[in-house]
Amino acid sequence: MAGLFYNMMKEEWRIHSTMFGSLNFALFPVMICAIAFMGTFLLPLIQASMPINDLVILIHAQYLMLGFMVGAFGLLGNEVMNRRFGQASLLAFSARTLPLSPRYIFTIFVLKDTLYYFFLWIFPLGAGFLVGSLFTGIPVFYPLNMLLTLTLSFLTGMSVVFFLSSLYQRSVQALFLFLVFSGLVFLGWFIFIGTNPTTLFPPLILVYQFSWHLLLGSVMLVLVPCCIALLLFSPDFQSGTKNYPNRMKPLIRHLNRFPNPPLAAKDVIDLWRSGSIVGQTIFSFLVPLIIIWFFLSLLDEYVSTIHLLLTFAMITGIIASTMYTWLCMFDSFSIYALLPLHVRDVITSKITSFTLLQVIPIFFMAVITFLSGQGEFLLPVLVLTLSVSYYVLAVSIWLTGLSPNVLVYNGRVMVQYFLLIGIGLSIFGSLTVMNPWFGLAGVGLFIPAFVLVRLGMRKWDREEVVVY
Amino acid sequence: MENIIETKSLTKNFGDLTAVNAVTLNVRKGSLFGLLGPNGSGKTTMIKMLTGQIVPSSGNAHVLGLDVATDPVGIRTLVGIIPEQESPPSFLTAMEYLEFIGDIRKIPDLEQKADWWFDFLEYGDKRNVLCKDLSRGTRQKLMLTQAFIHNPALALIDEPLINFDPIMQDKVKAFFVSYTKQGNTLFISTHLLETAEEICSEVAILHVGNLLYTGTMESVREADRHLSDLFLSLVRT
Repeated sequence: MAGLFYNMMKEEWRIHSTMFGSLNFALFPVMICAIAFMGTFLLPLIQASMPINDLVILIHAQYLMLGFMVGAFGLLGNEVMNRRFGQASLLAFSARTLPLSPRYIFTIFVLKDTLYYFFLWIFPLGAGFLVGSLFTGIPVFYPLNMLLTLTLSFLTGMSVVFFLSSLYQRSVQALFLFLVFSGLVFLGWFIFIGTNPTTLFPPLILVYQFSWHLLLGSVMLVLVPCCIALLLFSPDFQSGTKNYPNRMKPLIRHLNRFPNPPLAAKDVIDLWRSGSIVGQTIFSFLVPLIIIWFFLSLLDEYVSTIHLLLTFAMITGIIASTMYTWLCMFDSFSIYALLPLHVRDVITSKITSFTLLQVIPIFFMAVITFLSGQGEFLLPVLVLTLSVSYYVLAVSIWLTGLSPNVLVYNGRVMVQYFLLIGIGLSIFGSLTVMNPWFGLAGVGLFIPAFVLVRLGMRKWDREEVVVY
Repeated sequence: MENIIETKSLTKNFGDLTAVNAVTLNVRKGSLFGLLGPNGSGKTTMIKMLTGQIVPSSGNAHVLGLDVATDPVGIRTLVGIIPEQESPPSFLTAMEYLEFIGDIRKIPDLEQKADWWFDFLEYGDKRNVLCKDLSRGTRQKLMLTQAFIHNPALALIDEPLINFDPIMQDKVKAFFVSYTKQGNTLFISTHLLETAEEICSEVAILHVGNLLYTGTMESVREADRHLSDLFLSLVRT
């Protein structure tokens, strides 16, 4: 066990240090620690503009999301590695070549993720806060308790993703039923009991009212989904020679008004047959957004619902833009490299498919807008969602071409990506604060988006066809 | 005789590594040209440059009269390509993949042509199976089909027989020979010397990016040598 665990830790470190550079990456927890340390001194200032409760909620929501991301990356890790480093394979996926059971390897993998990310993300924040508290007179109990509750938030996110993905692996229908049931319970609670169910998130309650019972409840919230995931975990990969009806020809016919119909048809078939349209919509879109919405809605005492909604529209736009990565994750560019196609042809077809997928965020935001009683602002909300989504898509195309899943891990690209998004969003965020209808000005984002797409096409047409 | 491929001092560097070093060679129309070399000799890089998948660092190359650096898409319109690693799209069936190719290449009578290939390579029962579920050999058959289904004047194939059983190898070798007899040209890269000796009309030997030999198989035979002897004597020195 120790050998596998040690090598998995080493492997995780090498993945990150290869992407960001050893020193840069080693400094990452130091930076978190320093920020937390300095932030402790700034707490009185922060408190003047933002209630501490909100800050606590936001930090816990962030760590819950980090848990989700780590869980999701763990499950897709092999795919990502293959694209980033060529024919790479993670130890977690080596059950066929090691004399160890897949369930055992998965257990070690979960333990590795827990410890690795605790020391990478959670401990530095707690340590910085703890050291800062020694100078500011904050009782030591608070940073220690925060360390505990953030760990529990993070682990809850990770274990819920493991649970949902294990359920998904077993039966898509079962997952669908589970999500519908959970959604109804959440919604029912919200409507009939009148409180936001997120306020019952045990790690969050623990921040204010520590009790051993609550701690046990929080630990169970981590352990139960994780244990069920381990029980449900199925190492059997589907194989066989099932026959499929021919969908290419009818799809090409249906899509013949769009540019490059066969390429768009391939995207549609890929998404459907791989199960990604269901899996990605649930794991990469609905689950994170619903959680963000519930946490954001906790702020409605301090921020008006429409402003929360417009902020949420921008967040939804960013998450919706990642649908471009759903379309680029199948196969490598080598499929197209054999054919008389320019890179710009493929990018154009991906934009077409991306446009078809935008039905999902439109529908989702419409539902959220009506549920929050802001139906009159539906138009600016939808305009903002779509314009942000296309703007971030354009940034992705310009920076990463057809390899968003790979190049986004390049440090320089990542910084440019966040800078460009940050600039665009801060402008439109400020506008909507002045007047919700200014959300309509989001259409202005289509101008830089158009320019970035054109520049991206020219850039990637000139670049060598890189086959990952 | 007309040259289908012409390269002059063709070079490709990847950082400090020179994968192909100043290669000058001509491939005549109607020939079955074998590019031979050990692993890592630069064969795949040569094919990638000749099909416009990567840009030469220096030198130039013309394929079917088109410049690889300025008109890669024009070249890919005219030629058929099979890369070293067979990679049909995972979630399309074999037939869907051919329809995908057919629509992009604007191939008339695709269905009849596909049927002929399914029959010829004996994998018609797999036409509606997802590519990811196909065996390596069947994937190679599908890649062979996509490379030849538009009847190109030139096909460039990286390790053409590596995933086939001996019966299928024999069939495909016979197809290659008859294909070139019709005036088409085949450029294959391989390290299987027996295969090259059996079917190629011209060969070139590449080692660590350098072109060590180029000539007809006839001249090799006239010198009373086996290709493997020639290859080993050049590569080991």
